[in-house]
Amino acid sequence: MALHIQIDAEEYMNAPITNRGTLTWLLQRISGLFLVVFLFTHMNINHLTLGERLIDFTLVNERLAGSTGWKIFYILFVPCAAFHAANGLWGIIADYRPSDSVRRVALGALFLMGLALTYFGADTLIHLFQV
Amino acid sequence: MRDDKNFVSNLINETRLNPNIGTWSYLLHRITGIGLAVYLLMHTWVLSSARTSPEAFTERLGTVQSPLFHFLEFFLSVAVFWHLLNGIRITVADFFSWTRIQKPLFWIVVVLFLLMMVWNVIAVWPKILGH
Repeated sequence: MALHIQIDAEEYMNAPITNRGTLTWLLQRISGLFLVVFLFTHMNINHLTLGERLIDFTLVNERLAGSTGWKIFYILFVPCAAFHAANGLWGIIADYRPSDSVRRVALGALFLMGLALTYFGADTLIHLFQV
Repeated sequence: MRDDKNFVSNLINETRLNPNIGTWSYLLHRITGIGLAVYLLMHTWVLSSARTSPEAFTERLGTVQSPLFHFLEFFLSVAVFWHLLNGIRITVADFFSWTRIQKPLFWIVVVLFLLMMVWNVIAVWPKILGH
């Protein structure tokens, strides 16, 4: 039995990506791996600090405005998190085999959520990047 | 599963009907995932005050750095690091066909998670006490 599962997994891995389910499965893992790096860094700098001083606009602005590295970091971080959240919630809903009408509404709502998170996140970054 | 009416009791029932490590992993991943998606929306709302003005950003960030919010932030790190570490386990099991060692991988995740939580307590505890 275990052997069969092994073979199936390898066939699945090597199969061409021809349907949306396989593509989003792969994108969920890729965005997740990016988020591992982003979140570990972000959490240690902004949440698991020893609280030497309060985080305010000046502190964040000084760190981000002068650094191309931090700009790239956050520009990639925002869409990764937005996609991972929306696609993850869709995975949960899809698990319960919703009817077609529920599927449409849920997909529309999650798509909007992802877009809104990306838009407001990006616009927030632009303001935090200003010199 | 489809005919069960209550989403929450469904999740809990799963651990009773299939009392294995994989079920707990699935359950915790799902709960933390939903929590993090909700948090991401609130987080984006708080930070988007930068779109209004630097002062608005500093004021709203000041509000969420009170002892109460630092107490809640402790649970944020619980959710983030559980989801992050268990997500790595899911990804390596998928990518390297390591499903047969998913149980030992689970315990590695538990150990790494507890180490992160020691760090979490050290970083957040003084802030909860208001120092």
